[in-house]
Amino acid sequence: MKNKVLMGFAAIVMVAFLSSCGKVPQVQIDAVNAAIDSAAKVEAATYLPTEFAAVQDSMKAIMADVEVQKSKLFKKFGPAKMKLEALLVQTQGVAKNAVVKKEEVKKEVETTMTDIKTIVEENGKLFKKAPRGKEGAAVLEQIKTEIANIDAAVVEAQGSYDKGTYMDALNKIKAAKERATGINTELKDAIAKVRR
Amino acid sequence: MNKVLIKSLVIFTVAGLLSLIVYILISQIPQPPSKDVKKARIALSKAFKSKAHTYSKELYRDAKVNYDSAMANWGKQNKRFIYFRKYDKVAKFAIASLKSSQKAIETSKSNSNSYQTKLKDKVASLEKLIGDINAYFDRYPLPRELRTSISKGKMLYEEGLIEYKNGQLITANTKLNQADDLLSSVYDKAYSDLEQYLRSFPIWKKWTEIAIKESKENQSYSIVVDKLSRKCFVYFNGSKKYEFDVELGRNWVGDKLRMGDKATPEGKYKIISKFSGTKYNNALLLDYPNEEDRKRFNKEKSRGTIPSYAKIGGGIEIHGSGGKGVDWTEGCIALEDSEMDLIFRLATIGTPVTIVGSTKNLNQIFSR
Repeated sequence: MKNKVLMGFAAIVMVAFLSSCGKVPQVQIDAVNAAIDSAAKVEAATYLPTEFAAVQDSMKAIMADVEVQKSKLFKKFGPAKMKLEALLVQTQGVAKNAVVKKEEVKKEVETTMTDIKTIVEENGKLFKKAPRGKEGAAVLEQIKTEIANIDAAVVEAQGSYDKGTYMDALNKIKAAKERATGINTELKDAIAKVRR
Repeated sequence: MNKVLIKSLVIFTVAGLLSLIVYILISQIPQPPSKDVKKARIALSKAFKSKAHTYSKELYRDAKVNYDSAMANWGKQNKRFIYFRKYDKVAKFAIASLKSSQKAIETSKSNSNSYQTKLKDKVASLEKLIGDINAYFDRYPLPRELRTSISKGKMLYEEGLIEYKNGQLITANTKLNQADDLLSSVYDKAYSDLEQYLRSFPIWKKWTEIAIKESKENQSYSIVVDKLSRKCFVYFNGSKKYEFDVELGRNWVGDKLRMGDKATPEGKYKIISKFSGTKYNNALLLDYPNEEDRKRFNKEKSRGTIPSYAKIGGGIEIHGSGGKGVDWTEGCIALEDSEMDLIFRLATIGTPVTIVGSTKNLNQIFSR
């Protein structure tokens, strides 16, 4: 009697084990897909393209494994489930890091914006300080055009920043800073020459 | 004993038959093209890594669509009863995806390489173009809109260069093309303007030759001013003794027509007075306007190209206070004080001063 009870119990455990192994890990699949969507929403493709592509590729591989198991008579989703659980953690990490990276780029834009504002301000002061006689006018007129274009580029970069496209803003502001620094030197040189 | 043997035989036979049935049943299950799908997925991943989504968009899109179709079809087939599944379409899509990915990788590599080469050349040519604009037209009186275009072009070049260094070749290409359009257009306009100006070169050449010849014949000093190169050459006895940098009137391109046009005159002049301690230190007054200038002034006035109230002007000097790096005078020729002092000592009343647009022709000028 005791043996029969034990055998019945073993049979129940076996059935439970086999049925759990044969079930598509849909919950885990949905969770990873949701995590990938979240990562996409925080622009992981822009800020961490390689890592994001790796996550997507891993998901493709796991989904292929799932289909392989679904094609079999005796299905075994255990390994896929484990991989999905690991991938979920990895994807969440990518999303988190993408936010961090985006914030870093944003900060870099802000720092460069502050830098360029300082240079532009200094350029403005130098421009005002410069002699207004006929000698100075010729120099300043040339530089005035450059200053106007730098201002326009800063406005453009600010526009990209406001839209949240920080990578674009960063490239624009870096180029503007390069020009502004050049003008700063030119302005100082030119004024020094005029004052001779 | 026989019974046991028969029973065992029956059991083995039944077991064997069952095994055979199970084997037949299992072997009849359609097999999915897992290997093909795996190959397709790996190829797609490689295509992405080779940036095919950027440099071979169409093929990469085809590969992706085919892969997704393979997976969707596989899922669809897996929902059917096990013996009714057909995986031929899955295999077809997977193979198509693999082929597209392989082509995409090749195309992407080739396009990316060609972009690299193209952009490398473009960066070099733009660098040269900017260098040429700076060298030839930095001090050329260009209209404000052209100066704005140069400034914008340089900014776009900087942006393009940053994108190029970041490996964003397509964006870099767009920016550099925009920079090229702006800067090339400025260069062409400025070049054409200069070409027009240099039509007087044969006359200038003749004047210069006469100045050098006279210097030799009279064993005297002769000054030649080349407006385009901003140089002042001092000849003695037909040989060049000194060469100085000069600064001119703001609108130095073309001959001086009237007072206030901020142009430096062109022609054969003489020193008529020497002054020390002027606003611009030492100064040599020229005999502008001479007979030729007066004739031209009256002709232009009668033609209406200059207003009837316009005056011819005068007081054109070679003076000091130069070395500012820009053209700032009202039409005079400015030198650095130390160099002016030297010329001032050498020149006498009557020393010829020949002012020409250029001592070089167009080809010589653009042989940088």
